[in-house]
Amino acid sequence: MINTGRKNLLQIVKFRWLWMACSALLLIPGIIAMIYSSVTYSNHAPMKVGIDYTGGTILQYGLEQKLENSDITKTRNSLQSVGIENPYIQILNVNTEQQNNTESNISSIISIRTKFIDKDSNDQDKITEQLQKDYNNPELISVSSVGPTMGKELFKNSLIALTLAILGIIAYLSFRFRFDYALAAILGLVHDVLFVCGVFSILGLVYNVQIDGLFVTAILTVIGFSVHDTIVVFDRIRENLRYYSKKMSFGEIVDASVNQTLARSINTSITTLITLLALYFFGGVTTRDFVLCMILGILIGTYSSIFFCSMLVDFWNDKKTAVQAA
Amino acid sequence: MKNKILMFWFIVLIVIVSTILIFVKPTKLGLDLVGGSRLVLEAETTETIAKITPEVMSRLQIAIEQRVNKLGVAETVVQQIGDKRLLVEIPNVTDLKEAKAFIGETAQLEFKKEGKLPDGTPVWISTGLTGRDLTKSTLSTDASGQWVVALEFNADGAKKFADLTKELVGKPMAIFFDGDLISAPNVNEAIYGGHAQISGGNSGFAYDEAERMVNLLNAGALPVPAKIVEENTVGPTLGADSVAKSQKAGAIGLSLVMVFMILYYRAPGVIADIALVIYSLILFALFKTIPVTLTLAGIAGFILSVGMAVDANILIFERTKEELRAGRNLFTAINSGFDRAFTSIFDSNMTTIITCTILYLLGTSVVKGFALTLALGVMVSMFSAITVTKNFMHLVFGTGELKHPALFGLRKDEIGQSYEAVETKREKARFGILD
Repeated sequence: MINTGRKNLLQIVKFRWLWMACSALLLIPGIIAMIYSSVTYSNHAPMKVGIDYTGGTILQYGLEQKLENSDITKTRNSLQSVGIENPYIQILNVNTEQQNNTESNISSIISIRTKFIDKDSNDQDKITEQLQKDYNNPELISVSSVGPTMGKELFKNSLIALTLAILGIIAYLSFRFRFDYALAAILGLVHDVLFVCGVFSILGLVYNVQIDGLFVTAILTVIGFSVHDTIVVFDRIRENLRYYSKKMSFGEIVDASVNQTLARSINTSITTLITLLALYFFGGVTTRDFVLCMILGILIGTYSSIFFCSMLVDFWNDKKTAVQAA
Repeated sequence: MKNKILMFWFIVLIVIVSTILIFVKPTKLGLDLVGGSRLVLEAETTETIAKITPEVMSRLQIAIEQRVNKLGVAETVVQQIGDKRLLVEIPNVTDLKEAKAFIGETAQLEFKKEGKLPDGTPVWISTGLTGRDLTKSTLSTDASGQWVVALEFNADGAKKFADLTKELVGKPMAIFFDGDLISAPNVNEAIYGGHAQISGGNSGFAYDEAERMVNLLNAGALPVPAKIVEENTVGPTLGADSVAKSQKAGAIGLSLVMVFMILYYRAPGVIADIALVIYSLILFALFKTIPVTLTLAGIAGFILSVGMAVDANILIFERTKEELRAGRNLFTAINSGFDRAFTSIFDSNMTTIITCTILYLLGTSVVKGFALTLALGVMVSMFSAITVTKNFMHLVFGTGELKHPALFGLRKDEIGQSYEAVETKREKARFGILD
């Protein structure tokens, strides 16, 4: 028997159906949200998309005062009264404790999203003037603007990047491992990406969280991490097969391999999560959603490499032996 | 043992060089951290130029570069992306609105004369004399003290101007700037010598207005109009704020990871922490030397890579612990631990590098920064885990039996449990196992 260094084995093979059900439970709410969003949103996107993909302008102003949620409606009405069509307003409150070691005295940020402000439009001046009337000393701290054609192109490029990344990984894994391992790793990453996208779809519906160019970056990082984790487990299965394939069944080897790599899988996730959580709580407001996406990805990636991918490999192996026996 | 010590001094050398580089080289911070503006301009076709050729693009780039240089800020970037776009980066700009107007203006100066459409409506028609016929323009005042823009034509332009004024004696000649009528004075007599003045019409020029026109004329007109299709501007306060917060987040993240490693892995954890510090030094020195422009996303990539850098150490320590549980001596356990963990480390890092390469090739500049820092991080982490950690482990623990299992976070009764991995002869030789 393989010495796994632990008394109670985590049983992947035996509780196969439980883990499948568990994955389904994790994925289904997000998938429902994505379907619901595609049907209800006017652009039929499964998630709420930001200006990077739709085109538009976001102006952010720093304010010294704290804002209430009621200020959103107030500002929206006041901007509409000067002819800004459909402004979308968000308020980001800056944690004051964090502020101590920085020089700025901004305590909240008001972010205004409008349609793309062209060179000839004076909408930006109108908004600035109106905010100066409504609040004390608003300071324009950032402008992001994406033209409508640019948005379409960025979207296309993101899809190309995702597809290429997946193809690249399949190619590498098929070269280093057997094709069915590669397929299991890919299904694992699809599992992880679906989960993260699902959560962001729900966040979009409930909290209006929008995805942008950084979201795709985060998803690609999640893909990298997910496969990274899975490989460590598969590498162990491959190694154990070399030594024990005559003495133990494939299922036993899978279980033992998962257990041998369990401490590593969890510890790596912990250290990565520590750094990400530090970024989430102490880092800038602008990268918060980006970091959240990676946190979710790492949690689900760890789960899938332990329970989902190894279960798949064993499942296929069973099917194969059943066919051979018959 | 001798090459172990050589290796140790090699690592020390790298650390010293990295530290010096960190102090000597400046850090290149991205626009989102220092504040500044990143614009993407897209060339538009006109009636005369129906296709944006590479030649048109390079002329546009030169014209935009000249304008950006006139803003008087250091480290600006004007770079062509794709077939018809220019990326313009302007750090530390104070009046962005002004700068944007200045960069985007086509600056087409045209002299026009009166004409009539077939149905009799009067219109201004082109004369063929434009801003391209100028050698330079200067800011000046006229007899009444009003600001005027003085023009000096080149030989060709001087001739055209003389012919035109001769033709138009007693009639108005209109001066258009980017399609706007500036003034339309009556021509009193033919003007020879290639000098002319533009006054601001009835209302006259304000100083700023005249100065801007002079600058634009001297920088040269854009061959085709260019519109801004993407803009990212970050004010200096937000930038400084982001730097401070990222530093804090990085420091907290790094220290917590270090504490975790010591609590869980004990003595090897301390070594992993030292390796982690060396890793950070090397990586930061690399960032400064290449140089990599650090953006907010790039810093996130850097901090994330710290979490991932310990992964290699964790893989190795877990393997080493397993070997120790099997009752191997320290030297063998460390060697085989490293050797067996290596394929996992290599394969898993390769996939991260694959995704980073794709991000780098296809991504926008923000994404590129993230991909580059993460990929460099992964590569340096492989070096630091495989050379630094391994070297220190051997130097610290030597070759003896494991006397104090607690150093590795193991219990005494765990040692010497059955372990059936049967190594091949080649593996035995590689791990240094003696039968």
